[in-house]
Amino acid sequence: MKKIALCCFYFISLQNHAQLISEKQKVVDSTTSFLEKTEFKLGYFGNALWNPGLSSGAEYVIREKIRIKERKRGNKTITKQLLLNGNLGFYWDPRSHVGVFTDYGITWRRTNNKGKQISIEFNPLGYHRSFFPETYEVKNGEVDKVFLPGRGYYAPSLSLGFGRLRKGKKLTASYFNINFKLLTPYNTGSLPMVSFNYGYRFKLKKKKKHTKNEK
Amino acid sequence: MRNNYLKIGLFFVPVLFFMSCAKEDINDLSDTFYVRHKGADMPAHIYGNASEKVFLILLHGGPGDSGLSYRFGTIKNRIEKSCAVVYFDQRGSGMSQGRFSENDFNIDVMTEDVMALVKVIQHKYGNDSRFFLMGHSWGGTLGIATLLKNNNQDFFKGWINVDGVHDWRQLYFGYIENYKVLSKEQIALGNRVDYWQKVLNKVKTVDPLKPNLEDFFKLNREAFIAETNIRRDGFIVSDGDYEKEIVNNYVFKNNLLTTFWSGAMARNVLIREDIFKNWSFEDRLNEIKIPSLLLWGKHDVVIPYQIGERISVKMGSKYKKHVLFEQSGHFPGGTESQKFADEVEAFISMNK
Repeated sequence: MKKIALCCFYFISLQNHAQLISEKQKVVDSTTSFLEKTEFKLGYFGNALWNPGLSSGAEYVIREKIRIKERKRGNKTITKQLLLNGNLGFYWDPRSHVGVFTDYGITWRRTNNKGKQISIEFNPLGYHRSFFPETYEVKNGEVDKVFLPGRGYYAPSLSLGFGRLRKGKKLTASYFNINFKLLTPYNTGSLPMVSFNYGYRFKLKKKKKHTKNEK
Repeated sequence: MRNNYLKIGLFFVPVLFFMSCAKEDINDLSDTFYVRHKGADMPAHIYGNASEKVFLILLHGGPGDSGLSYRFGTIKNRIEKSCAVVYFDQRGSGMSQGRFSENDFNIDVMTEDVMALVKVIQHKYGNDSRFFLMGHSWGGTLGIATLLKNNNQDFFKGWINVDGVHDWRQLYFGYIENYKVLSKEQIALGNRVDYWQKVLNKVKTVDPLKPNLEDFFKLNREAFIAETNIRRDGFIVSDGDYEKEIVNNYVFKNNLLTTFWSGAMARNVLIREDIFKNWSFEDRLNEIKIPSLLLWGKHDVVIPYQIGERISVKMGSKYKKHVLFEQSGHFPGGTESQKFADEVEAFISMNK
């Protein structure tokens, strides 16, 4: 039984492989350097729009598939990427606190022929820290000023993003993300947060013009 | 290394900016601090004239509303000129944060939170600070509970109850009686006859003898609709255009989603305690001895004015004044705002 299952798996894998090649496939070059495979990003981060902030991060390509479909009007290129993703940012809620956050996870991104991108970002590893203005703790009738007051939360997040490639420009792409984050434990439960993030991605090192695996 | 400095800079600039935004002019104070007590971090925003160290602590309604949503109209433009108004987000409400169990989220702990706020203001502005307590709606319940605990009344120069309920069991029966009277009045006047008839029919479906949560919220939800209809029929008239300010407070002064979510969660947890027993203080009202001012909208359907009359009769204060606002509903501070400010200013001036 095991052998049959293995044979099936092998056969399906081969078939998929053949299918991809027939559509012309370009896989990310294993010899590409870390910086070539890494894009950095910087953008405005708005918690509920009017709480301004900044978010920065990096994305490292772990898998990239480029399908070139041959059409009469010309080739159509669709790129699908799987990226490791890390963010660091903050926002300012003018009347109550400053929120600083960092999160890590994976991003799936599809880029169409026109350079339009759609991405889904899932960050299961997230930490959110609120910083309060001066805070006084009252314990057993005594009042003490709290040093570096605030609260820390586990904060996983999910983002839906739209973007556009900017060919030949230093800022390689623009993006607009809608983020859903959950702070927990918050009071007696959890707090959902919605925020917007828009900005640009850039590379510190330009990609080589021709990849070796290109067929 | 340079990148590290940049990151540290990016991290601390907003923090330092935020820390420096308090305005310490005692005549025109603008101060925000948090009170940490029993697992909750609760923001207090103080605005106004603190030159005489007179602080009016405002307990918001809900439960689950937020302090800053009350900063509008004559509270901001007049009352803040005569004293410092403390807009306080209660535990689990508004922009309050923290980590605490549902066992630590009840009216008893919340009264301790109010006294923790008093202690922090004394610590910050001096032991010679003087306090007035004002509660609106649910804030009235919390205020009365605070005054009745330990020797807390010694800390306050006066109590201002704005359409605040003292006893949720009595409120249940009050709803039933008020709907019967109000519906008949409105039907006799020919106003929205179908609607008021439906209200009369709804009242017949609730248990008239034993208060229960399901029926209570049926009556409570109807109260907001009924008051909106009364306003539309011209019984409630505003002396100013504060609606924009109120919307602005709700939408822009706090994070709307956070306050909405926290408020809903707070209500959900708080009503799990036996509200008809634990939020009922009618038998102890005579223990309140400090000067008291009751401000009530005559057309308040959410907390009917008969509740105010009941409180006024039963309170033990030597000085107590019950003011009825003829053209107001659940918050006279937003409709007859000038008269509201006159009464509050006169009361504070007399008793400070």
